[in-house]
Amino acid sequence: MIDALIFDTVRTPRGKGKKNGALNEVPPIQLASKVLQAIEKRNNINTEDVDDVVLGCVHPIGEQGADIARTAVLEANWHQTVSGVQVDRFCASGLEAVNIAAAQIMSGQSDLSVGGGVESMSRVPLGSSGGAWMADPTVAYNSYFVPQGISADLLATKYNYSRTDVDNYAVSSQKRAAEAWKEQRFKNSIIPINDQNNLSILEVDEYMRPDTTMQSLGALEPSFKKMGGIGFDDVAILKYPELESINHIHHAGNSSGIVDGAAGVLIGNKKMGNKYELKARAKIRSFASIGSEPTIMLTGPADSAEKALRKANMKASDIDLFEMNEAFAAVVLRFMDVLKVDHSKVNVNGGAIALGHPLGATGAIILGTVLDELERRDLTTGLVTLCVGAGMGTTTIIERI
Amino acid sequence: MNLMNLNSLKINIDDNKIINLIIKPNNLNINNEVINDFQKAIDYIANHKNSIGVIISNENNSYSFNYDLNYLYSLNKPALIFENITKLSKAFRRLETLTKPIVSIISGSVSLGGLEIILHSHYKIADTDNKTKFIFRNIKYALIPAIGASQRLPRLIGIEHSLKLFLSDTIINTEEALNINLIDEICHKDKIEEKAKEYIFNNIISLQPWDDKNKIRTQQTPFSNDNLGYFISKIAMLHSNTSDHYPSVKTLISAIYEGLNTDINSGLKIEARHFTWLLGNVETKSMINTLILNNSKNNIKESEIAILKKSFVENYAAEGVRLLINGVTAAMIENAGKRLGFELGPLATADNIEIQSILPQLDSIEAPVAALIRSMQKDNRNGLSSNKGFFDYEEGCRIHLWKGLPELIPPAENQQDIKEVENRLLYSAINNIFYNYIKYSESQSPQEYDYIAINNIGLPKWTGGPFTWVKQNNIDDYIKNNEIYAKTLGSRFVINKKIIDIIQNKVL
Repeated sequence: MIDALIFDTVRTPRGKGKKNGALNEVPPIQLASKVLQAIEKRNNINTEDVDDVVLGCVHPIGEQGADIARTAVLEANWHQTVSGVQVDRFCASGLEAVNIAAAQIMSGQSDLSVGGGVESMSRVPLGSSGGAWMADPTVAYNSYFVPQGISADLLATKYNYSRTDVDNYAVSSQKRAAEAWKEQRFKNSIIPINDQNNLSILEVDEYMRPDTTMQSLGALEPSFKKMGGIGFDDVAILKYPELESINHIHHAGNSSGIVDGAAGVLIGNKKMGNKYELKARAKIRSFASIGSEPTIMLTGPADSAEKALRKANMKASDIDLFEMNEAFAAVVLRFMDVLKVDHSKVNVNGGAIALGHPLGATGAIILGTVLDELERRDLTTGLVTLCVGAGMGTTTIIERI
Repeated sequence: MNLMNLNSLKINIDDNKIINLIIKPNNLNINNEVINDFQKAIDYIANHKNSIGVIISNENNSYSFNYDLNYLYSLNKPALIFENITKLSKAFRRLETLTKPIVSIISGSVSLGGLEIILHSHYKIADTDNKTKFIFRNIKYALIPAIGASQRLPRLIGIEHSLKLFLSDTIINTEEALNINLIDEICHKDKIEEKAKEYIFNNIISLQPWDDKNKIRTQQTPFSNDNLGYFISKIAMLHSNTSDHYPSVKTLISAIYEGLNTDINSGLKIEARHFTWLLGNVETKSMINTLILNNSKNNIKESEIAILKKSFVENYAAEGVRLLINGVTAAMIENAGKRLGFELGPLATADNIEIQSILPQLDSIEAPVAALIRSMQKDNRNGLSSNKGFFDYEEGCRIHLWKGLPELIPPAENQQDIKEVENRLLYSAINNIFYNYIKYSESQSPQEYDYIAINNIGLPKWTGGPFTWVKQNNIDDYIKNNEIYAKTLGSRFVINKKIIDIIQNKVL
């Protein structure tokens, strides 16, 4: 099999996913095309050599609709021969896009590809693409659909994570993210977003609250209690009758932030590396996606990680650093417990609780984060994983060269 | 001038070339003859090129239509049922698309079946009589509409209002009907015909909103901005209220979802397919049997019903406590009861009736159950009245299961599947009713007793009553499962042979 080599990782800063967020004025197509332009410029490639651009996007409607990947290729003024495809694996879309791009290289069908993602949650809101999973009564009944926040609280209830456990985790995410920014640990991947006059719109991750404490989190009301009360808790208990009730512990401070952002990873084979004199920073060791029980929904990362580890012939202890998307604090706690991984190796620069989770882009963002950190610490192996809607998990394992 | 006079309806035409379609009987049971009558009449109207509009009215003082269920069940095959119910729907669809104005005059009470007919008119006028009202019965215990109401009502008054009307026992008066856009006008009886004619004179062409290109675009779907959140949470609410029973509820909301995402013609087919499926569903058949087809008056005295009910509730609570002793977790027991459709779980029920009241239900071999009750009594955990029992209470409100329970009765390491727990509760409940039938009520017919069991005693309605439930499921399974239970759990699972004989010979 041909090695899929990672040459570059690029991401935008993450803007608050609200109307008053800095990136709200920037259409998602601009976020995506600015990432592509940066990849072209930083690597000095002739885009005619790029075979495909694969972009994750979870709500591909409105301005994110009609294949935003191909649209981004055109808007970035890349060569017209570069194709583009938009993919959706919910929260893991960005990582799935990287895996698809890598698979093209590994199979010899492409020489140079981009995998990445984009999501402007301030402009195309969460849930706006609808879907049969939640809205078609037959599907919702048969799959015991509950919104993800209820699943997170269900997971916490089933596996006995308390409000203190998840709040503690959230405080550490904020602290780690603040320190990472202070030490400029994201500088290799991040590109500023400027306007057409080259005036700066956003240079840093905007969502962070470094002064977060247990006390400040303690004041927050659980986010999903009301939603649970109108029937979703009962649906969760129909599926998990061993539970008396759902303990609602997740809130805005220990769940991932709603933000805008985009990212891209340049992946290719050795021939392309040589042609453009690009340093192969890492190779993709393996990747895997799995399906898991859809009502609790968020237990997939451990299963997909184990599958990817098996494929790479590795053990969890062989991994130097983990990026496990912080969709909800309890998801990460569960992942660490199942894989028996110490917190000191997981999300060492904070995660989506502090920095935000631009759905379609996050997977590609955190792949860049772990690679930058492996280089900074001069470590070798990294595992990136995300929990995924409707009960899935996606994992990618990389190894520095 | 009279144009047609049939058993179900008559039509005439006045000097203004307005056709009057007058429905004759108060309660129209829709069978083959009725379907043919309407087909004939609507054919005639469609071919009557000179007429300028149609007024639908009722000769008597109510619009009440129902499918003749004996007729539908006699059709037996899904293909025939589908064909027959779509015949009537197609005839009315033809009427509403003639483009001639169709007006309904509403005088008297209107049932859902009656409303199905009225919804085909372009303009609906009700009189001011306070007897004129719309009567809705929760479709949970029976069938969904079959002549298009699941498609037309949400398109006319919105999904939220429609679900409220379909899924509750509600009576709305004409003012409320006007407010939600169900009707277009209210006027005095003496003026109502004049108003109907006025609409026809003023509207040479008249279309339903779902056929009017200018209005279709603004019509709601489950995905409309204001609807999605409501719709998704409504599904959860309905699912949690019905567990996996009462299939008409899921079928109705599916028909609305699938139908409102397309046009009315596909929507009507979608509804008819769901209706046909529902008619063949075992739970629906059971409920129809007991609540509609065999709904006969019973002669059991109130005092006797009280005895039956008391025994039933105590038995239900006792079975819950027995399960607890067998190592099943309290949460599983409570959830199994709720999933079966009981309002409360067995342990919450035990608290409500005072835990010691289950003692008479126990037989001599059940010392551990009695010991648990006594030990809780010592601790003053008598139930709701002492603010603590299997649950903890605050000012009479149930808070949560007593945290000390697992220490007193440690749960088994390997828990049974919830379906097994449900089965045991259901068998125990059904056996209790049979036991009391032989003891007190053998003179009642099984049909009458089924009705009492689900309406007065408390057995969940979806069963259709104990006799119907056993018959509709599988009597051999029932006998076999009871034999297995009886070996380990005691005599309450030993079935009197008389019961088997009755089910085999007297229950349809």
